[in-house]
Amino acid sequence: MRVSGIIHQQICQLKWHLLACLGLIMVLPIEEAIVDLRAGDDYLSSAMASLAIMFSPLLAGLIACANVQGDLNEKRYIFWRSKPANVKLLITLKYFIGLVASLLIIACPVIFVILCSIIWNSEGFDRFVPLPILIAIMAYSLCFACNVVVRKTARAWLIGMLIGCFVLVLPFMLPLNLKDFMTDVMLLTFGLYLTIILVVSAAAFLFALYAAQHDWYLKTNLRELLWVGTGLVFILLMLFSSQVANIKVLCEREIDAAGTNELAYLGNRVILNGISYVDIDNNKISLSHVAPDPDTGLVWLAWGESAYGREGYIAQIYPDPRHGGLYKKVGDEVYSLVIYAYCSEEISGLYEKVYLRSYRFAEDPQPRASELDISDCLMDRINRIRIAARLIDNILVVCVDDSCIVVDVADPNELRQIDEKINVLKDVRWHLEYEDRSKTFAVPLVPINDINIEERIRLSIDLIYRFYGSIYESSIVDIHDGKIAFFSASQRDVARFDVTSWDDEKIYCRFSAARPFTILEGMAGAPGRNGRTFVKDQKLYCYEDEQLMVFDVSLDRSIRKLGHFVRMDRNIEDIAVLEDGKLLLCTSWSKRGGIGHHRQRRYLYLLENPE
Amino acid sequence: MFRMLLWKEWRENLWKLWFCGAASIAFTAMLFRIRIVPDISNCMLISLVQMFVVPVVYSLDIFSGEMSNRTIHLLFKIPVRKWMIFFSKYIVTVIGILVIFLITGVLMEFMAHGREARVLYLFKTNLLFGLAGLALFTWFCAFGCQSRSEAGSLGAMFSVFIGWGIAYFWATICEVTWAALFVPYSLTELGADGIVVMIFLQSLVSVMVLVIAFYRYASIRRYL
Repeated sequence: MRVSGIIHQQICQLKWHLLACLGLIMVLPIEEAIVDLRAGDDYLSSAMASLAIMFSPLLAGLIACANVQGDLNEKRYIFWRSKPANVKLLITLKYFIGLVASLLIIACPVIFVILCSIIWNSEGFDRFVPLPILIAIMAYSLCFACNVVVRKTARAWLIGMLIGCFVLVLPFMLPLNLKDFMTDVMLLTFGLYLTIILVVSAAAFLFALYAAQHDWYLKTNLRELLWVGTGLVFILLMLFSSQVANIKVLCEREIDAAGTNELAYLGNRVILNGISYVDIDNNKISLSHVAPDPDTGLVWLAWGESAYGREGYIAQIYPDPRHGGLYKKVGDEVYSLVIYAYCSEEISGLYEKVYLRSYRFAEDPQPRASELDISDCLMDRINRIRIAARLIDNILVVCVDDSCIVVDVADPNELRQIDEKINVLKDVRWHLEYEDRSKTFAVPLVPINDINIEERIRLSIDLIYRFYGSIYESSIVDIHDGKIAFFSASQRDVARFDVTSWDDEKIYCRFSAARPFTILEGMAGAPGRNGRTFVKDQKLYCYEDEQLMVFDVSLDRSIRKLGHFVRMDRNIEDIAVLEDGKLLLCTSWSKRGGIGHHRQRRYLYLLENPE
Repeated sequence: MFRMLLWKEWRENLWKLWFCGAASIAFTAMLFRIRIVPDISNCMLISLVQMFVVPVVYSLDIFSGEMSNRTIHLLFKIPVRKWMIFFSKYIVTVIGILVIFLITGVLMEFMAHGREARVLYLFKTNLLFGLAGLALFTWFCAFGCQSRSEAGSLGAMFSVFIGWGIAYFWATICEVTWAALFVPYSLTELGADGIVVMIFLQSLVSVMVLVIAFYRYASIRRYL
């Protein structure tokens, strides 16, 4: 039998299926391109083409089944078996002709998008497009092998798809410590997945050859045995698989509290809402009051004296007592450090005075320990004010608008100004642009010589990219083994920027890695621009609303997701990393049940930090 | 006689229930155990795949099987009304799809109880996807009840998916909210306003589509 004749016959046999598949795969890209053209956004179709390519394994399987069924259904099978045909040659040719045909079909939207992006000079596909094409090859092979044995198009297609899905999930069930699809599979162990896909494809092809040669035909008796065998394998896998990426909850406790929950550090201990110490014993959360009177505690230290103590003025307080406090312990005495900025009630938003005050925890009704007037920072008298502060050992760096004040707080009873840098953060760009990822960019280095260079770099980056954030208790900068990196979160991804060098005035940074959020993570509310982000001990914590995500940032070129914690309808309010690495989390739950009926509950969670 | 037809269809399509049920249970158990993504995302993923796959499995040979096996001649010679033949197929499919989604939803709730999602959220989400799948199957009946091969049925089903996909994108991009109410995919939005109205409207539309489908099925003999 001539090879060219077989090829011709196979192509003729498949032509209608190929045309149908081509129509199905191209309809969405063309539709999107037309919509974009009508909307005046050029002739673009990358999103729908990506979607079509995602579904290409289904079509590849369909082509495989049509290909096999063309010659292996009852009547045709008798016909060609009666010819002097080489079964192996025929099946090999069928396999590769169908494979090439399905790859050509899948290539059509790819070529369409590439051409569109060249002509209109726009963004093409992302780098993950090859994966569905590889999966399509596997799906084709599996469906081909199944149809050789089952010989019913629909059932073979379904069984092939089922085996394909199972193979894709299998690596996560085996003890390979895979946790993150984006990093583990797409970046770190793509070779493993590629091997699995190619080995399964090759095995399916060889199986198909052997089955066709020996005329294997799965009829009835063997089917029950296969069901039982598959069930047993599944149960075994379920027994040996374990939880992968969810963060384990060690303890959950409902607490009585009003307002927003906040956790603050006081030395080694964590304080909840400035009122209670949070202690952990055998993975149990226990609360003990800071003060004999549970209604006071440290919370009013954070508030200090009444914010509205000055008649005719409105005060802004930093740290916002609803979100935390800046505490310092000297001997047995506990102090809080608070910054007050006063603006006139008459000219709203025009700030006139700024004070740094320290308060001592005592039963004294007027516990103010010391006060420092830092109003010199108010240079421009603009209609808003930015305040930030960070305590580094006994040095408190206070930043107001574009100026910084360095204060010695070794003795909080006597605050002493050491240095003053006016307008050092003027004309700074306060956010990262996507374009920054393609070039080295510079960040101003805060000229404070009273702290070491690493802390200066950390402070500078935090001030610029988290000025409104709680930089007094956390940082987005990771310093490890002499390497300095910082992180940002957006709706699309979390990104890592390395500090490459610095001089007396500037820090030079360069983008090094990003970990995109998947569609599935987005469904549960991935932390976006409004999410809070911080780094501690080479782990990046991102949280917003209902979801916390923890990433491993110890590798230079990748950000690997370690785990997630989700609680629907709960709002994550604050998080603290304990000394032993465990996580303490505050959440609130609220429900409106009619006019004037508003139920609210608050919870504390102790979580295992994922490794 | 109608009960006998139902019994025939039930026996013929039982493998689909077993297959889809077993696959759904297996993948739900697997994904909810290994938890690569949050439970809510797992639920959406499984429900989405089910919404497309389960109607496809049922549509493959529910009508075309009779044609390809030539049993339709025998079926039409039985002294029963044609609506009985058509609706026995449709009812068995509806029961099958609902059973699969109910089982999966209950399993999701059971495995994820007290974990991440609020009580019954996963069940409701999965069930709404099931209703959307049912609506898609109903639309398939109108287009694919005369198909003579499994490939033809598959083509008709894919056309329904893609056609409504295009309608859905047009409705959302152009903000034609009233049009979105008629798109089966809109049923999957659990938090959408007026979900009850949407279900009611789609039920009405489904009844009309079924009438058309039955008319087309009843006129099959001309083409045989």
